[in-house]
Amino acid sequence: MTPSLARGLPLVVLALVAFGLPLAVTSATYLHILILLFLYAYLTTSWNLVGGFAGVLPLGHAAFVGIGAYTSTILSLQYGVSPWIGMFVGGLLSSLVGVIIGLPTFKMRGAYFALATIAFAEGIRVMFENIDYLGPLQINGPRGLQIPPLKTGLVHFMFADKEPYYYIILVMLAAVLALTWAISRSKLGYYLVAGGEEPEAAQSLGINVAHAKLAAMAMSSFLTALAGTFWAQFTLYIHPKSVMSLDISFEIAFIALIGGRGSIAGPVLGALLLRPVSDFSRIYFGDTLPGLHLIIFGVVLILVMLYQPRGLQEPLTRLYRRAMGRLIGDRGAPG
Amino acid sequence: MKVLEIKKVRRYFGGIKAVENFSLDVAEGAIVGLIGPNGAGKSTLFNCVAGVFPPTSGEIVFLGERTAGLKPWDLCRRGLARTFQIVKPFAARSVLYNVMVGAFAGTARRSEAERRALEVLQRLRMEHLSHARAGNLTIADRKRLEIARALATRPKLLLLDEVMAGLRPTEVDEMVAIIKGLRDSGMTIFVIEHIMRAIMALSDRIAVLQFGSKIAEGTPQEIARDERVIKAYLGEDYGAA
Amino acid sequence: MLFIIEDTINGILMGSIYGLAALGLTVIFGVLKVINFAHGSLLMVGMYVAYWAVLLTGMHPYLSLVVVVPVMFVFGYLLQDILIKPIFKSEKEVREPITVIIVTTGVWYILDNLALLIFGPQYRNIQDNPLRGKMLEIGDMMVSVPKLWGFFTALATALVIYLFLRKTRMGRAVRATSLDRDAASLQGINQYRIYNIAFGMGTAVAGVAGVTLVPFYNVFPTVGVLFDIKCFIIVVLGGLGSIGGALLGGMIIGVIESVGPQFMTATWTEAIVYALFLAFLFLKPSGLFGVKYDW
Ligand SMILES: Nc1ncnc2c1ncn2[C@@H]1O[C@H](COP(=O)(O)OP(=O)(O)OP(=O)(O)O)[C@@H](O)[C@H]1O
Ligand SMILES: [Mg+2]
Repeated sequence: MTPSLARGLPLVVLALVAFGLPLAVTSATYLHILILLFLYAYLTTSWNLVGGFAGVLPLGHAAFVGIGAYTSTILSLQYGVSPWIGMFVGGLLSSLVGVIIGLPTFKMRGAYFALATIAFAEGIRVMFENIDYLGPLQINGPRGLQIPPLKTGLVHFMFADKEPYYYIILVMLAAVLALTWAISRSKLGYYLVAGGEEPEAAQSLGINVAHAKLAAMAMSSFLTALAGTFWAQFTLYIHPKSVMSLDISFEIAFIALIGGRGSIAGPVLGALLLRPVSDFSRIYFGDTLPGLHLIIFGVVLILVMLYQPRGLQEPLTRLYRRAMGRLIGDRGAPG
Repeated sequence: MKVLEIKKVRRYFGGIKAVENFSLDVAEGAIVGLIGPNGAGKSTLFNCVAGVFPPTSGEIVFLGERTAGLKPWDLCRRGLARTFQIVKPFAARSVLYNVMVGAFAGTARRSEAERRALEVLQRLRMEHLSHARAGNLTIADRKRLEIARALATRPKLLLLDEVMAGLRPTEVDEMVAIIKGLRDSGMTIFVIEHIMRAIMALSDRIAVLQFGSKIAEGTPQEIARDERVIKAYLGEDYGAA
Repeated sequence: MLFIIEDTINGILMGSIYGLAALGLTVIFGVLKVINFAHGSLLMVGMYVAYWAVLLTGMHPYLSLVVVVPVMFVFGYLLQDILIKPIFKSEKEVREPITVIIVTTGVWYILDNLALLIFGPQYRNIQDNPLRGKMLEIGDMMVSVPKLWGFFTALATALVIYLFLRKTRMGRAVRATSLDRDAASLQGINQYRIYNIAFGMGTAVAGVAGVTLVPFYNVFPTVGVLFDIKCFIIVVLGGLGSIGGALLGGMIIGVIESVGPQFMTATWTEAIVYALFLAFLFLKPSGLFGVKYDW
């Protein structure tokens, strides 16, 4: 087997499994869990463009989820615009907001950036909770917006059962992963990494670090908002505490950090590890041991930060390579 | 032609006069040395030239253009590259990755950046380290990586800040040969160095800095004979030798 | 007009308690240069300790300080020593490690949800304590007595910390470390022990804030989150690392929260606080009294 085939094959297998999964998983509950898993993998991969490659710690991405969800929902409820179009309007709007946040904050470092993003996201949430109408647009304050399930079908981004949602989010995830892969190999990717690791050296090598980060932020907030529309169409009910809560922002960051930020596999791996913990502990211990999954998150997060600060992706990749090496002979081991 | 003109540059940090009224011209194709005791203001001067911070007063002209208001990345794109005295590698990445970051300054294509990076690595005789993690390099190799990254941007003027500190004598000789080779390919070089043997062998001209002020400028022979320089910096031994 | 003065006074009093909570955060930041995201949770722990101490023994709420302060100091000391110190050691060159934010966020999640597991989600308060519901009448104005106690406690705590930093040997070592940890290490100061002490102090101050709240505020597992974000805002307003700034920043927030509802829906005041915070971050990140950092 040639090395490139050895590297490509597991990906193909993974893709086939992912696409075939709904055939095996018929339980609506499990499918629901899988959809949320992919949704979080998607969100975290989008977050990773800034939080991972650009080396800052954004803790307010829920704001972009919310902007995406509200934009497409308002456009479709009030103006009959297809959510597919609304999705991209939301993306652009969110991108704009992302750049506005980024302009002043990328000059700051570390803690200040994290605090500023939290405050921004919480500020937007509080605003949405307090207004019923934004000009002609109905926001409905804390009560949120309900999407009546009237017209189903692909055009309306609405389906009676869960499989279509599964495939949509799977395709979205695959696309965002491919994009991340392409960016990580591009000039922008190199510039983000350089600017994140050693800003002074990066600048001396011709990199306008703030510009690179802004570009990443624009993309990240755009992509995150798309997931907001998906969220709205999937749950058919959004309100500020659901699509804009600080918990979402933190969960995204946790998944990235535990999986391994700045790597392509990290966010997916993190979602694979953490989402089931949170879903199953909610299903089985929700009544008896509330918050158990959050304790587990906290403990895992601390252990990972202390012993594998670059995330679990690193040791697991090493293990995987060793296993592959043994399986197909050392020559074919992907290096 | 003058590649770099430094005119009456001052740089103060609060009360500290790090650079005081410094003027110097660097001619195209020259190797100009800058020496002086610790804390004399050498790195500060480099930082002003490279656009890290503006001079408190005075003017710097690079390739006929005044650099006021230009940021480090602007200057890099105009053909100025520098190394850092305290090396700043992208430690978690490979050597090749590090150098490619520099190479992207001249191209947006990955394959071209990789080609340019490998070319530079070959030139510095470190292609065997291409896939080593930058953070794991020895200090000598880190210094070389610092140069490689700067070279990959294909500069016209290269500022080297103590790239030989901490190297063994054979490594110093190797570095001197490399730097001379760079000049022979048309690059202009402005170099800070404490190792006298190296700076004397390399430089066409040398400027001496003490307490922020230039106390002498001339050919290596003139500098070696200059009374004030011997007193301030070289020490009596050097003058006698 | 009178009610605005009344609201302002009560806002200042409540705000001084916010400031007291933020004081702990600012002490930790001042020395370690990191933001402790678990700060609100530590305040929550302090509240539960005080709550149980008062409930079980029937002591005066402020007497519980005797228990809360040492317990919280040790708790913070160990927290820094066990969880945060290793990060400082492995990231020596990093001036302000992001990893600490993450680890303390982990601590936040663990503490809040442990409290939920152990004590349940219900709101608890101490019905029969000598301060509860007490009002001081000044002319036609009513001033909350427990908040007044909180106000004086905040001032006293700030004074004690100030004197500790200025007048004691240990305090001078702490200040030396906060100014330049490398120089301090050269003078034979054990940097990590100072960090432990600073973290212990910050945690103890969070505990003191918890004690001042217990007489009139509900105790519940996520009570810390309310204070967490307020504290972040306050320390940025006042200037990270500034003692006076923390108190003043707290009072500003307190006044906005208590006077604001006279002019708008109460929930809007929260939005104003965020707007103010962002304005400061963008326009004057060093805050009212902060040292200027080269961000
Ligand atoms: N960013 C800064 N802020 C404040 N003072 C500075 C700064 N950079 C340099 N200095 C001061 O300016 C003076 C000159 O420092 P500089 O680093 O330029 O000296 P140098 O000649 O490069 O010394 P060395 O040979 O040790 O590298 C020193 O007193 C130093 O402390
Ligand atoms: Mg220097």
